[in-house]
Amino acid sequence: MDAHIRKVYVPMTETGFYILLCLQEEKHGYGIVQQVEELTGGEIRLSPGTMYGSLAKMERDGLICFVREEEKRKLYQITDLGRQVLDWETKRIERLYRNMMEVQG
Amino acid sequence: MWNQKTEFHLFTIPQWKQEEAYLRQQHQAGWKFTRVTGLGLYHFVSCPPEDVVYQLDYPLENQGAEYLQIFSDCGWEYIQTFWGYSYFRKPVSAMNGPEEIFGDDESRLDLIRRVTKRRLLPLFILFLCILPQAWLQSQFPYPANYVLALILWAQVAVYLVLFAWCGYSFWQYWRNYRR
Repeated sequence: MDAHIRKVYVPMTETGFYILLCLQEEKHGYGIVQQVEELTGGEIRLSPGTMYGSLAKMERDGLICFVREEEKRKLYQITDLGRQVLDWETKRIERLYRNMMEVQG
Repeated sequence: MWNQKTEFHLFTIPQWKQEEAYLRQQHQAGWKFTRVTGLGLYHFVSCPPEDVVYQLDYPLENQGAEYLQIFSDCGWEYIQTFWGYSYFRKPVSAMNGPEEIFGDDESRLDLIRRVTKRRLLPLFILFLCILPQAWLQSQFPYPANYVLALILWAQVAVYLVLFAWCGYSFWQYWRNYRR
């Protein structure tokens, strides 16, 4: 199971990564879009179709879970499995960054 | 009715990109899309010319209200759902740089998978049902059978052309997104 999840989710899409990163606090899809816009200084604006599809897929695979609904917006939160995936991906990105610094000086 | 018009346009199953471009051009020319009906009747009302991006999704059935909500939160106006396709638009003036409803190739490939599975596959199953019937019908040497067989084989031919065309279009999308 874990091997399958790892194969599907590592490396992650940018949208997937930001979803897990932001859902460490409960939030709805548009809340994630707003937070990412803020984090990246407006550079990244996640698309609604991609966001909606990624949330559905991650919920199905148990990386995030539905918490409650608020004015037609579904709020989600990360699960333990989601945290595990975020951890794998964080380590991978850290390695990339470290190697980039080593090689480029 | 000088401020309204209806145009007939046929877009086949995989031609949603062409359809999006068509609707955008109409809006740029001062014709705002209101709805599509029948076999491809596109209704417009006149409006000040504006550059508005049109996008189509093919969502799964039984979407909750949150599906449309997230599009509207992101500034995409929902127009209608027609034969499984949902129509959205957003003016370029409301965007910071180019925007699409699908931001990465993985979600674009997902869209292709949904259209293939839920639109093309049922047609393919129908096609498989015609095949043995057409073959059986051509086995009996009676004139009435010749006519029936001819009709059935003509159907087979139409389906084959359709599948070849769809297959080619899907392959083109696939190749573009799988760079």
